[in-house]
Amino acid sequence: MNAAFLVAADEWRFWLRSKLGLAAIILALLVTVTSLVANASRISAAAESRAQLQAVAEETFKNQPARHPHRMVHYGHYVFRAPAPLAVVDPGVDPYTGTVMFLEGHHQNSATFAPFFSAAQAGVFARLTPAMTYQVLIPLVLIIVGFASLAREREGGTDRQLLTSGLAPCDLWLGKVLALAGLGGLLLLPLAFVSIQALSMGEGAGAVSAFLLGYAVYLLIWALLIAAVSAGSRQASGALLTLMSLWLLFCVVAPPFAASVATASAPMASKIETDLAVAKALRTAGDGHNANDPAFNRLRSNLFEQYGVDRVEDLPVNFRGVVAEAAEADLTDTMNSFADETMQAEMAQSSIQQALSFISPQLAVRHFSMSLAGTDLRQHHRFLHEAENARFDFVQGLNRVHAEELSYDADINRNASAEAGQRARVSAENWRVLNAFSFEPAPAGQRLASATPYLFVLAVWTALCAFVGISRAKDRAEAADA
Amino acid sequence: MPSLKNELWLASRDRLVQATVLVAFVLSAVAVIVGLNTSHQQRMLIERVDAAVAEDRAYVLAQQSDPGGAAYYAYHFTYDPPSPLAFAAQGTRGSLPWKHRVRMLALEGQIYEADTGNPELAMGGRLDFAFVVAVLVPIFLIVLLYDGQAGERRGRRFELLVATDQQGGLFALRAILRAGLLFAAVGAPFLLGAVISGAGLGGTLTVLGALGLNVVFWAVCCAFVALRLSSGPTVAATLIGLWLTLALAVPTAGKLLVEGTIPVPVGGELLLTQREAVNDAWDLPKEATMKPFVEHHPEWAPYADISLGFEWKWYYAFQQVGDQTVEDQSKALREGIAARDRMMGTVALLSPTLLSERLISQAAETDVAAYQAYERCVRDFHRELRMFHYPMLFETKPFSQEAMAELPSFTPCTQ
Repeated sequence: MNAAFLVAADEWRFWLRSKLGLAAIILALLVTVTSLVANASRISAAAESRAQLQAVAEETFKNQPARHPHRMVHYGHYVFRAPAPLAVVDPGVDPYTGTVMFLEGHHQNSATFAPFFSAAQAGVFARLTPAMTYQVLIPLVLIIVGFASLAREREGGTDRQLLTSGLAPCDLWLGKVLALAGLGGLLLLPLAFVSIQALSMGEGAGAVSAFLLGYAVYLLIWALLIAAVSAGSRQASGALLTLMSLWLLFCVVAPPFAASVATASAPMASKIETDLAVAKALRTAGDGHNANDPAFNRLRSNLFEQYGVDRVEDLPVNFRGVVAEAAEADLTDTMNSFADETMQAEMAQSSIQQALSFISPQLAVRHFSMSLAGTDLRQHHRFLHEAENARFDFVQGLNRVHAEELSYDADINRNASAEAGQRARVSAENWRVLNAFSFEPAPAGQRLASATPYLFVLAVWTALCAFVGISRAKDRAEAADA
Repeated sequence: MPSLKNELWLASRDRLVQATVLVAFVLSAVAVIVGLNTSHQQRMLIERVDAAVAEDRAYVLAQQSDPGGAAYYAYHFTYDPPSPLAFAAQGTRGSLPWKHRVRMLALEGQIYEADTGNPELAMGGRLDFAFVVAVLVPIFLIVLLYDGQAGERRGRRFELLVATDQQGGLFALRAILRAGLLFAAVGAPFLLGAVISGAGLGGTLTVLGALGLNVVFWAVCCAFVALRLSSGPTVAATLIGLWLTLALAVPTAGKLLVEGTIPVPVGGELLLTQREAVNDAWDLPKEATMKPFVEHHPEWAPYADISLGFEWKWYYAFQQVGDQTVEDQSKALREGIAARDRMMGTVALLSPTLLSERLISQAAETDVAAYQAYERCVRDFHRELRMFHYPMLFETKPFSQEAMAELPSFTPCTQ
């Protein structure tokens, strides 16, 4: 074991002496720090702007004058999606999902204005997020620095000298792995620094440590892979070619390949089709704006029975409000069941993509990182669910105000004259039914649970690369003996 | 001079050449097949949704007894069908809308709706032909060409080859031959795809031109570096560094520069303003709506008196006035996006990756300009809808089911 550390220290000395190694390390540190700073400032600016717009939207809603309550149902409200604390490291799907959603009665709108919408289009590579830096660029740096680690010794015959002087073949291999892993650890420091900042933004310590652990394991996989390839190559140039091909396969080809496979094998209905299906399913349901719709006859007779009356005018509640509330509840059930179907279809697509984690550790760490940061599809769905709950709450709150605070008589005569219109209003006090909306990622425990399978995939990759590396190192020692 | 035949034979026996050209061919073929499939699915979806929206419209219109309700409930499907070459580049179609369902209400409240599918798939990009050309072709060329001279030096044949090469240019011939093989392997599946989907000659040649440009650029780079450096790994590392700079660093820096230089309005603010304008109208005196409305539409001035508490013409007037209120913001947003795209076009001159990607998606009509053309198309159609409904709403033309049969139907705009 001590011998391995000596080998590692020697490797470090070699890198620092060689121009290429030193340049690569400095460049890598520069790029990681730049990406962290650039992304953190972008995310915090977005968070601030969205929080501010959210406050404006809530203020404006509550400051509306006295009105007919159903007018406020159509006036609607806006919710803004706040980025998760760890989005400073991994913004995940944030650029591709809408940031603002209009909430109103009778409709579920989509989230609009994804950052991508007005962004300068420069291809998928032009996203210098820290996640991308650590998942794609740092492995490349490790390759450039480490491809020759064992192949070099072999080309120069120095490995034979080391082995005959009593160094165990595994120690030589382990030393090179340790050297590369140490470099990975050094490059992880900026990430650790920023992730720890996320603690102050309300992120849990468990999530942050698991997050760093995932990235550490990922870089360890590359260290092991580089050592394994380098150990098996007769020439350094061969090792470089193999490693570059693997990098290209894992980090450049696999992501768009996985996305293409997922799209082609699980095509989805469009939202328009879903909306139409909802509309069709609702053709038989009553129109909540029309209290005389036969669909509400049963509701009416139940109320008559409950209050012992036989005219809607005699009910202690405004029947139009009761109808609006009942209709909205039915409608929402239908809309939600269709929305759930859409989300399940999206999850099915994503799970195809996730299953492909076995062809590329980068896909595994990407999903790990997003699910832990709370910036994956699941979290986007969570936002959609919470936005829907907020929508339903304020609409039904207003419908209850409609039923309880506004008399039926004033309501049906609201268009008779300007004065009658004034009588069919309720005071602005009632707009307080609106709750403050703040979107937060799922509890850390839940995110950990959904990220754990990817950690397992990463562990499989680690074991595989370690196994190949050790057996190649041993084969080589035998070949050297012979 | 038997060397061409000779070199072709040599290249065909080279394992590295075989493997690289095969992988390039397979990836290009996969990209083309996936792209054709995507375009096919989009066309099917358009057909399906168009029929479903028409059915829904017919159903709701049959129940309407006044022009206001008819305008309110009749939805129209607008779309931008994939061009014949769309299979070559997904472009903005993966993340920006190319279909909207619109109706007579304020358009600014509808046109930003995004029905773009799974964001986790959008972030991975697509393995489309443009990706193969822009990102992977340079790598294939590096693999094919980095070891040309250095390999012969290692094999101790270099001096011999140079000495016996009377006309000179042996290594140039080898490079051209390998680059040509790669061009053919990547280009052939595309050409077949273009023929299958009936693409025009101009666009097809543009795409092949982008491929050719990329191949030539990188072949020259490889030759240039290989001549100056003698060890294989150093040549490869230098070329990969160049690739990273041009494919990753320049686009990233360019994007930051462009977005920093050209600000665009925040979409959320536009939505809030528009909503206020539309909703405030309910509480304002009717003239506050009708005055700005007739300024845009003087032809309706004689009919703009609103005497009842609620009249449909007033309702649609404030929908339009809502759009008018954010017209400047909305224009600034569109112009900002266009300006960013123009500036990105300038940046692309520094990166063959970006440049070939842009050329291909331009030919495929999946670029920002194509998205904006679609958006204009929807705006024009919405204007047409208003022109159709206003005479009935302002009662200069009687409402009837027969009159509604004349309802404009959307046809996609051709560029």
